[in-house]
Amino acid sequence: MTPTRLWLLVAALVVGACDFDITDPNNPPPIGNDPSLAQIQAAATGILVAARSDAADWNLDAGIIGREAYRFDGSDPRFISELLEGPLDNGGGAFGGDHWFEEYAAIRTINDLLNVIGTATVLSPAERNATRGFAETMEAYAYLMVLMGHARDSIPADVNRPVTDPPAPFVTQDSAYRFVSALLDTAAAHLAAGGTAFPFNLGGGFKDPERGDFSTPPLFLKVNRALKGRVEVYRGSLGCGATCYTAALTALTASFIDTSGTVTLNDGAYHVYSTRPGDIVNPLFQNPLTGENLVHRSLRDSVEQKPTGGNDDRYTAKIVSRPLTSAGVPPLSSDLGWIRYPTADAPIPIIRNEELILLRAEANNALGNPVPAANDINYIRAKSGGLSVIGGLAALTQNQILDELLRQKKYSLLYEGHRWNDMRRLGRLGQIIIDRPGTDVVHATLPTPLAEVLPRLP
Amino acid sequence: MGKHLGVMLLALGLGAGTAAAAAAQQRSISGRVASAVSDEPVAGATVAVVGTAISAVTDASGQFTLSAPEGAATLLVRAIGYKRRTVPVPAGQNTVAVSLEQDIFNLEAVVVTGQATAVEQRNLPQAVSVVTSQTLERAPASTIESALQGKIAGALIQSNSGAPGGGAQINLRGVSTINGSVDPLIVVDGLVISNASIGNNINAITAAAAGGNASNQDNPVNRIADLNPADIDRVEVLKGASAAAIYGSQASNGVVMITTRRGTTGAPKFHLTQRFGQFRVAHFMRSRVFADSAEAVTVYTDSALVGQLCNLPGDACPNFDNIGALWNQHDLSSETDASISGGTDQTRYFLSGLLKHDAGIAPHTGYSKQAIRANLDQVLGTRWTLAVSTQVIHSYSERGISNNDNSGTSPYLVFPLTPSFVDLRPVNGVYPDNPFERSNPIQTYALFRNKEDVWRALGAGTLRWEAVSGERQSLRFTATGGLDYFEQRNDILSPPNLEFEPNDGQPGTIVLGKASNLNLNLLVNAVHTYIPASGGLQATTAVGLQYVDRAPNTTNIVGRNVLLGQTNVDKATNISLTQVLQPQRDLGLFAQEEILAMDQRLLLTLGVRADRSSRNGDVNKYNLYPKAAASYRFTDIGGGGDELKVRAAVGQTGLQPAFGHKWTVNNTGVVSGILGSFTGTFVGDSGIKPERQTEIEGGFDATLMDGRLNASVTVFNKTITDMLLIPSLALSTGRTQRVFNGGKLRNRGVELGAGYAVAQSPELNWIIRATFFANRSKVLELPVPAFQVGGFGTSLGAFQIEEGKSATQIVGSEGVVGDATPDFQMSFSTDLDYKRWTVGMLWDWKKGGDVINLTDLLFDLFGNSEDWSTAGQQRFTDFGNGLTQPYVQDASYLKLRELSLSYRLPSSAVAQLFGSRVKDARITFSGRNLIRITDFHGNDPEVSNFGNQAIARNIDVAPFPPSRSFFLSVDLDF
Repeated sequence: MTPTRLWLLVAALVVGACDFDITDPNNPPPIGNDPSLAQIQAAATGILVAARSDAADWNLDAGIIGREAYRFDGSDPRFISELLEGPLDNGGGAFGGDHWFEEYAAIRTINDLLNVIGTATVLSPAERNATRGFAETMEAYAYLMVLMGHARDSIPADVNRPVTDPPAPFVTQDSAYRFVSALLDTAAAHLAAGGTAFPFNLGGGFKDPERGDFSTPPLFLKVNRALKGRVEVYRGSLGCGATCYTAALTALTASFIDTSGTVTLNDGAYHVYSTRPGDIVNPLFQNPLTGENLVHRSLRDSVEQKPTGGNDDRYTAKIVSRPLTSAGVPPLSSDLGWIRYPTADAPIPIIRNEELILLRAEANNALGNPVPAANDINYIRAKSGGLSVIGGLAALTQNQILDELLRQKKYSLLYEGHRWNDMRRLGRLGQIIIDRPGTDVVHATLPTPLAEVLPRLP
Repeated sequence: MGKHLGVMLLALGLGAGTAAAAAAQQRSISGRVASAVSDEPVAGATVAVVGTAISAVTDASGQFTLSAPEGAATLLVRAIGYKRRTVPVPAGQNTVAVSLEQDIFNLEAVVVTGQATAVEQRNLPQAVSVVTSQTLERAPASTIESALQGKIAGALIQSNSGAPGGGAQINLRGVSTINGSVDPLIVVDGLVISNASIGNNINAITAAAAGGNASNQDNPVNRIADLNPADIDRVEVLKGASAAAIYGSQASNGVVMITTRRGTTGAPKFHLTQRFGQFRVAHFMRSRVFADSAEAVTVYTDSALVGQLCNLPGDACPNFDNIGALWNQHDLSSETDASISGGTDQTRYFLSGLLKHDAGIAPHTGYSKQAIRANLDQVLGTRWTLAVSTQVIHSYSERGISNNDNSGTSPYLVFPLTPSFVDLRPVNGVYPDNPFERSNPIQTYALFRNKEDVWRALGAGTLRWEAVSGERQSLRFTATGGLDYFEQRNDILSPPNLEFEPNDGQPGTIVLGKASNLNLNLLVNAVHTYIPASGGLQATTAVGLQYVDRAPNTTNIVGRNVLLGQTNVDKATNISLTQVLQPQRDLGLFAQEEILAMDQRLLLTLGVRADRSSRNGDVNKYNLYPKAAASYRFTDIGGGGDELKVRAAVGQTGLQPAFGHKWTVNNTGVVSGILGSFTGTFVGDSGIKPERQTEIEGGFDATLMDGRLNASVTVFNKTITDMLLIPSLALSTGRTQRVFNGGKLRNRGVELGAGYAVAQSPELNWIIRATFFANRSKVLELPVPAFQVGGFGTSLGAFQIEEGKSATQIVGSEGVVGDATPDFQMSFSTDLDYKRWTVGMLWDWKKGGDVINLTDLLFDLFGNSEDWSTAGQQRFTDFGNGLTQPYVQDASYLKLRELSLSYRLPSSAVAQLFGSRVKDARITFSGRNLIRITDFHGNDPEVSNFGNQAIARNIDVAPFPPSRSFFLSVDLDF
């Protein structure tokens, strides 16, 4: 062989032998048609991962705006400048523009599964329905999370469309809540036709010896009804009134609500965390004495004493003293730390029994049933706080009962992302205590993210 | 392509015949080539018979012998560092003596313009910057990027922080892309090497990118830092598409071509350099000094604590220089360079070794490097030569902790919250807790370890076959194969007894990162040179192919909750792992024709490259990148060898899509031990293709005043189309971004260069040089709404891409508040030899170009800036009133990059000190970055929190402060 030919051969070998068609070695493709059982499990777990992604951050941000918490973060002043002082910057994804994308990413994940579940030959019709019922319930939960943060602006709802299509139109808040409510009913129907078992494992957030079992379609239906109860109570307070409060009571009855004491107030569905590889730890878990997240001191100022002496049990279970820390100009300070999530794998509630009882109390009170409302409130006072029962509670005005309910709800669901939303939908934002009049504000809502608005501009 | 190959094969056949015919009519000419000043022999000079392809190379004693045609001949004698000389040789004369004059402006240098061909500087149709070893070595540099700062008109070279061990961006001719990669292609001895930046995942401790995914705030080192500057013979920089088109879709950011030193014929020459020196902090931000507790409590509410600390008479506050105490290390730094070179007619060699240690300015920081190189050239028979380059490098850096964080660990995110009246220094080895923030930086730097250990092997072999070597034509085949392999290991240890470690409830963090990359290269080409019998013309045809296979593999393990004293990741209770693979394959085919005509006054070049890549959507499609260039020399314009060259060039290059641009994929996560797959944020484009840059440049080069003045003017206009645009999607889609090709960006600018030999005599040589560069970009078409590509949101200053605006504009709450592109850059250098003394210096001036200074904001935010009462309070008030401007600051600077003063010892002293074997000895004092003049209000105006960035450089968040260095060195030749 002559050198020339050798050269040409080398060239030909190089051109011919290389495979240029490389597939992504790092990540799986989105779920496709006729998925396998393993792919369906991965998609179902993926929904839980996506749904979990904003839980801790929401609890912190809503907690700061609702004056349950502070974050004195030397690295990021915006926990004070945006969340407490304002204005909220809808251009950033972390504060003003937050609590939107993660929810819609979860909804996309859910729709990716819903769009192909009908082609899953590996599933029985009942299993397909069970899968739909689970996915739709989680979708409704994701929408509800967006609505909890975005009160004034409307939100996009019909988002199950190709990304290259024009974005889904905004609908009004009322329409969005009705959409979520209907979605929960659709999910409930699918769960009811879903047989006795899911074709996937939902993991420890839905089945735990201490927090109850919601791991089959009939049991998961109770979670669906619990969320329905929350949605209808919210709707009731936002203008729908008696119709929705009544629907809430119906839904709550079908949920896992329990005041018999057979299950704990913590019974419910949870986002779970662990230190296992690939998993994440609860982001709200910190060293309570040195961590960046602190407790608003108003929680100590308003805490009730037990008849036996000592603070409300909920306070002592969730809050601990720590060295005084300050931040901001003029300075804010606190000497209280969080032990609400005391371990790296402490779960964050999606919805739990204690909330359901307080939702029922709110619905009954609004419907003019002060006696059952007062009973539920007193039940929580005693059971959760170790406090004395308020004898004449049912005799107080509707508004006074609501005040008491909100005071109990503050301590019952502390650092669980409720207070700001409750105070707002019930028109009580003005009652939230601010530290620095003239500097601080209480935001009425998070703005629509700029990144939602800009791509829609012509 | 096929046609060119046909022409060449035809030429091959013709050449074989004519070569045989010519042999009968030859005669022998021999001679000696020597320096005109010293009469020392010039080895390695090329002696060519004008009008033919016949040439020879001088040996160590300057001797040559060649066969020339019968009759009168003209010899053209050239050598690196000397001006060319033509020597007529009458028909009867068979010996000749040639003396050459020095070439101070390197006009005679041959510049590699193609993959396989080179053009003499005097004919060069593009503005290719050449930096030779002399200018590289004026003052010792840790890495090659700093050695190039201020030496290339059109290049903005800026370090990303002051952390030891590199991390710098070479930006050629301004913005070339918005979303593509930013680094120029690095070619060493023909081999495409990796310049990857692989983060150390210090993010596991800083949480700079909350969420834990890959962060670009890790302050990574781009791996060009591994190269040993002392091994480099010359660096040629192809700045834009008009020069770099032959590198196709890898070259939109320009090409930095590095040629390492090779042996020259002669007895072994030993060179030894020994340096000792020191690094010292050049500048750093300090905090506010509080007069008394009354002033202190206006900021720090805990009046009991303030009272306890401000305990001097009259409640005055003490002032502890905690920040100064941290940046106060100046241990001995040293460097040993040794090389041996030499060779025979058949074999030439260059061997070198490097031992280097640069001590850092803070505890447990520093940079060490060891390298050995062997370059070998071997003649194999009459027509074959083999050139081998091999190098093994070990580099090791400790870079502490700096840049953005969300965990209160990076010093400049702790100092803004820490008043100067608290003493953080250790007492009896015990570090006090910082009562004002989560960590004590002095403790952190004492106990924290951040090590990066890199082993790298580079090897290239070039086999050359002179298939035809005749009077009228020659044909040469060249094959270069090579590999570049490195393994980077990162070990970060954040022990549980650090103040901040227990905060996350999992005391102690260990990060183990292992990354490797293998670049395999194959370059095959053929070059045919044809000189017709009529003379006056030389046609060079080159064709070839280039194949590059890259295989980066990065794994990273983070362990949390670690037992004190343990350093292995498996001694943690919470372990997380990541792996990222980014394989890539590229194939390019190229052809080029160069015609040198009109007595070597006119040069015309045409070329085209066809590229396919695994990064493209269509992996089978060849994208074409043509180029054309012309230059013409007006000779003897003022007599005495003065000349003016007018040149123009146009070319296209591409910029490949990033890895992953063509795919839409899911992410994964784990719940209850079950793997979940959920939607990813990015929507890929299965039809994605490279960006295309079209550049036109033109200019002139003049040599005036009898060769003492050299001036060059270049203007360029580059237009980038099919840009990789990554518009935001409405978030309700559940995705954040998609990629597609579109839009149009323009960047134009001017480069000036001038050199003047003030004095030229055996006793005094003095040369001064200056460069100037300015460029402006404009987004011409943007088929998507304006979007931001960097920053922390509008209110903190963000880079916003907007049609009709500069690509590097910075917007704030109140609108446009700045631009990162400098108004202009200039550099001045001077090199003076007087008798035995040599003085050299280089000043680097950047005028304008803004930096978003968030470190300054943090000091103001916590009422703790050094100038709080005079300016800080006002800045912060303005910021509170909705202005971002106070923190978008002018980052102009004037730096004395290099200073050296050298003395060559008299031979008597040399003999006395080092013995008779040492021929030459020099003692040098040199310094780098000794003087800095700037109004910038941060640690250093050269800063990038996000590392190398196309647009979003110039963001200052708690950077490692810059250092200056001084060295005293001895150079010995024997």
